[in-house]
Amino acid sequence: MSRIMTVWLPRWPVQRRLLERPELRRRPVFVCRRERRGVMTVVAWAWATPPRREGASAPPSGRASLSRTSLSGIQPGMSLAEAMAALALSHGSRACHIAEVDQDDPAADMAALESLARSCRRFAPIVAIEKPPQHEHGGPECLQIDVTGTSCFFGGEGALVRTVVWTLAARGIHARAAIADTPAAAWAAAHHTDSLHATLTATVSQPRQHHGGLQKRHYRWAVVPPETHRQALADVPATALRLDTIVAAQLRDVGIETIGGIFRLPRKSLASRFAPQLSQRLAEFTGERPEPLVVPCSVELPTASQAFDFPLLLRDTTQDDLVAVIERLLQECVAPLAAQGKGVMSLQVRLERSQSAEPREACAPAVIDIGVFQPSCSAKHLVELVKLRLARMRLPREIEGIAVEVVSVGVAECRQRTLFGEAAEASASQVGMLMDRLSGRLGRGAVFEPRPVADAQPEHAWAAVPPAARGSSSRSRTTPAIKRSQQDRACENSPAARMTASVAAPQRRPIWLLPRPVRLETVSVVGSAMDQADGSSGPPVWFCIGAQRHEVVKAHGPERIETAWWRGPTVRRDYYVVETSTGSRYWIFRQRRGEWFLHGMFS
Amino acid sequence: MVTQVCNPVWDGVGSVGGLLLRQAVEWRQAQAEGQGWETVATGFPALDRLLPAGGVRRGSLIEWLADGGAPVGDGCGAVTLACAVACRLAISAAQALASQAATIVVVDRGQRFYPPAMIPWLDAQTDVAATRGRRPQLVVARPSRDDDEIWAIDQALRCPGVAAVLAWPERVHSTAMRRWQLASRASGAVGLLVRGLAGRQQAGAPTWADARVAVAPVAEGDSVSDFAVRRLRIARVGGPWSGNEMRNEMLSDMRNEMLSDMRNEMLGDMRNEMLGEMRNEMLGERSTELRLDLTNGRESTRRHRLSGGAGTPSMAGRFQDDRFPVEGAACRAS
Repeated sequence: MSRIMTVWLPRWPVQRRLLERPELRRRPVFVCRRERRGVMTVVAWAWATPPRREGASAPPSGRASLSRTSLSGIQPGMSLAEAMAALALSHGSRACHIAEVDQDDPAADMAALESLARSCRRFAPIVAIEKPPQHEHGGPECLQIDVTGTSCFFGGEGALVRTVVWTLAARGIHARAAIADTPAAAWAAAHHTDSLHATLTATVSQPRQHHGGLQKRHYRWAVVPPETHRQALADVPATALRLDTIVAAQLRDVGIETIGGIFRLPRKSLASRFAPQLSQRLAEFTGERPEPLVVPCSVELPTASQAFDFPLLLRDTTQDDLVAVIERLLQECVAPLAAQGKGVMSLQVRLERSQSAEPREACAPAVIDIGVFQPSCSAKHLVELVKLRLARMRLPREIEGIAVEVVSVGVAECRQRTLFGEAAEASASQVGMLMDRLSGRLGRGAVFEPRPVADAQPEHAWAAVPPAARGSSSRSRTTPAIKRSQQDRACENSPAARMTASVAAPQRRPIWLLPRPVRLETVSVVGSAMDQADGSSGPPVWFCIGAQRHEVVKAHGPERIETAWWRGPTVRRDYYVVETSTGSRYWIFRQRRGEWFLHGMFS
Repeated sequence: MVTQVCNPVWDGVGSVGGLLLRQAVEWRQAQAEGQGWETVATGFPALDRLLPAGGVRRGSLIEWLADGGAPVGDGCGAVTLACAVACRLAISAAQALASQAATIVVVDRGQRFYPPAMIPWLDAQTDVAATRGRRPQLVVARPSRDDDEIWAIDQALRCPGVAAVLAWPERVHSTAMRRWQLASRASGAVGLLVRGLAGRQQAGAPTWADARVAVAPVAEGDSVSDFAVRRLRIARVGGPWSGNEMRNEMLSDMRNEMLSDMRNEMLGDMRNEMLGEMRNEMLGERSTELRLDLTNGRESTRRHRLSGGAGTPSMAGRFQDDRFPVEGAACRAS
């Protein structure tokens, strides 16, 4: 049986704002959503530290007030005007004046929850966020952690659940947590830890009962022992099954308030009497129907930007100042990726121009595109690449702001370091960094890895491939073209492949090939009359490169290379390897019309 | 020395602590010396005998002076030999430690390097079992400016995962050369620099390179072969930079200027004659001959055929010998 811990963060939208702006703790905070016709609806609200008032049922501590849903009768889904009226009724009109009203921002709430979920991976590897409840106000507020088999590392489930709550409390987050067999049961338990703790201590741990003074305390955690969640949670309200309001109202109409009450009904008739959601939730609660945990995988790529109060004048700014800002932004971008075990593959740095300074130019920002061959999560390395590019580009005269945007990411390779010196494995990543630096300065197309291609025309007998990261998995990443060439190599010895092999024999190919063939002006050919029929003749007796005359003493050829008509301009060349009287070797060819060209040197 | 001093300490410390201490001291020693680099045999015994360490020591610079018959210096085989040595270095690096990246970086200034001539060598020499299925990586960088080229060579030599850097810089200041030397000392990469005519003028002058090898082709003359074997004459010219030679730098610079002036003045036969003399001087009694098999980049093991080479079975060989008798052609030309 699995064990799931649900961590409930009550009123998460408000809590997130309180974390970001602690000064709001003294004021009531309303998070509102603008509905149709301009009506503001309260999504969540809280007053972390309301003033103590005599006679009023003010909560003893601010933290606890967060979880009290019916403090002043304000419910999520109320209009803001109603909520303000209720607040004025309970705390006086001054409370309304100091109230902070903020727009709902589900995306930011979700992002903050995801980062919290990532930090909760210290407790267990699988940390999920509950599916946002449909037809409800507000987004998800719960984390679901699969703690099956991990509680022993924290000294038992009770210790684990306490550790989680305290760890979050140390960060200023109010949380309630519970462990049970199924996600649904854990959810129900986490939302009713107060009542549950009383029953659990009464039934399970007898010795604690005599602490009568503790009854008033608000318990923030509960552990439902394995296989007992049906009995232990029998007294929990039926709404804890995450039912829609309609289904909950139906149940209330027939007088069923608790989960135990539902279980007392015959299961077979449930589906026909109530909405299908009820039986579905019940099955999830008992574990008959598995409920998958959805681990968040953020597809959002990090960005960071810095806008200057006044435009930076280029003449007053050194490059180091710019680099310092860019480095900080890069660190901001890289840190969340590194936490996910990812690294930057490509990123963009934009230097925003000031519109007033350069009115004539289109105010497009100066853009630096950086790409690496190996995912990198080292801000230092990326800054180096940016520096290389910065030094060689024309910067705008006035810079209004700098933005760094990660364009693509890849899985970074992590290696354990050795205590002394660099490990041999580290040199592979060093080569990757070298490629990045070289292509950063020389241009991305100027650094490549040559791969042989089966093609008769010498210029096309190889292809420039961007150098791949030499990881341990480099072999599995071979492209089909490479596989094909490997096969070619493998069958080189078979008689069928001898023809292709001899065409690409390395001894017939020069180590230097001119980018385009150079025409040889003065060539003396002997015996050209011998074979005029097919237009071919022997190699030249001598030829000139510049002013230097080369006497040919030995030749090999012709090797005729002819391309098909669909390849564009037809190439028909008779190649000769010639050795001159000094021993130098050249690769020359004769075209169909009898012109001679120098194409390569066996340098 | 440090080892002996520390020995009693190690005995006293527990096994793990002693191991770490030993590792730390060894690492410090290696760092301090920078000489802990192994020497790799090039596979050409003639070349190994020329080199000061009896092979190519990792972390060194080797200059190859292309000594072709033509003033252009092309087609003489120096680049080919340097490529063969680079292959050997990368493969031995891959075999030494299978996880270590053995990369050859070719800094190709004139966009002339033609990889299909070299890739088959890597494939032919790589012993799949010894390198555990890893092929040395070949990376080409094509700088378009002189300062980019110097920078690229420097960066490549600085990288610990690089086995060899192959480049043909035209003009190199001795400051850049010294930077390269220090970079390769630190990382263990071997710089193989092929220099053309400008470098040849400096033959005999001090250099920062650990060895300076002149390469000249051997004209096979009458003998007919299928061009699969390249015979090269190599000699060690100049030498490593010593303290006394520092002051000679200025003198040699002056001499080079004079030489280039002289060369510009001379024309035609006169120039050839002088270059021939220079070559003879360089490749005097010290020169040796090596035979490079162009099919796999190793020392040729074939017997040298003096005549009657059987043509290759391909179409290419069909016209070879009967249609073009060398002696006859020479007669007709004259």
